Amino acid sequence: MSMEIPSEELLERIAAQDVAALGELYDRYAPRVYGLIKHMLSSDDVAEELLQDVFVRLWGESLSLSREGGSVVAWLVVTAREVAVERLRALRAKVLSAALQGPGAVVRKEMLGPAKSKAAVLRSSAVIFTTKPLDGKSAAMKPDPADRPGTPWPSAFPSAWLPHTKEIALINDRLVLLHKAIDQLPKSQRQALELAVFGGLSESEIATAMGEPLAKAQRSLRAAVTFVKHRRRAVCGTWAANI
Amino acid sequence: MGCQHLEELYELWLLGALSGQSSVDLREHLERGCPHCLARVRDATETVYILDLGSKPLRPPARVKAELLRQISRKATPHR
Repeated sequence: MSMEIPSEELLERIAAQDVAALGELYDRYAPRVYGLIKHMLSSDDVAEELLQDVFVRLWGESLSLSREGGSVVAWLVVTAREVAVERLRALRAKVLSAALQGPGAVVRKEMLGPAKSKAAVLRSSAVIFTTKPLDGKSAAMKPDPADRPGTPWPSAFPSAWLPHTKEIALINDRLVLLHKAIDQLPKSQRQALELAVFGGLSESEIATAMGEPLAKAQRSLRAAVTFVKHRRRAVCGTWAANI
Repeated sequence: MGCQHLEELYELWLLGALSGQSSVDLREHLERGCPHCLARVRDATETVYILDLGSKPLRPPARVKAELLRQISRKATPHR
């Protein structure tokens, strides 16, 4: 029986410029990273490009990651969502821009108002454009100019924020159970959660997509996240911070 | 900035769902090295990891790996 080389050992080899070790780590985790990105962006071409981007970033960050510790797969997954969210936002901005420049069917004329120029509309973001949430239905989107959800970290996810390998291993062991718990969420909470997790939307964008007041959408999303956090702590029993 | 009111924000922040100013405030707070929040961000990362893995794993086409390794080989310094 062959023993699998620990991911941390592969990371050390990657930090020492071992391309084959990167290939091995890729074989192990690319399906998870690709699955997440593809789910968020749909496009094969974009998902493949971003998948490569994540592993190129890993190559660049491998030395500091290897020195500072933390779960490699957690780093890969959170980095994948970061690049996917960045791309989603860029695509939405492009759609918005195109809608304002041409006879885009995605623009709802009633939102423009007769007195407003397209430039004014762009400034006020008083345009609805469409996106594709998880259920495949189009949803109305109204970008809020005061709501510019930026990337929370500068260029690479800090190692200090990463869970330890053993904690992630515990989660992986109990993932099916944890996802079954998520399935039990009320529909509105689940929808808000999916729009945040896989749509990459901010709270105000979620409110618009769901056609609900911001406060209500916030409550749904925050209740869903809190539920998942509490289920995780109950199922994995890993919460050990000093309170 | 105190920490208690941040309790329910870490996951949202990691997801990118917080509005611009809240996101900036939280990041600046963390960059000052608050140990209370650091432990909670690590905890929140576990929750976000679970949420992210709600998508099904999908095997990418083989050519993606080949292209990646070609790209990396060009970056690599000779292996010591």
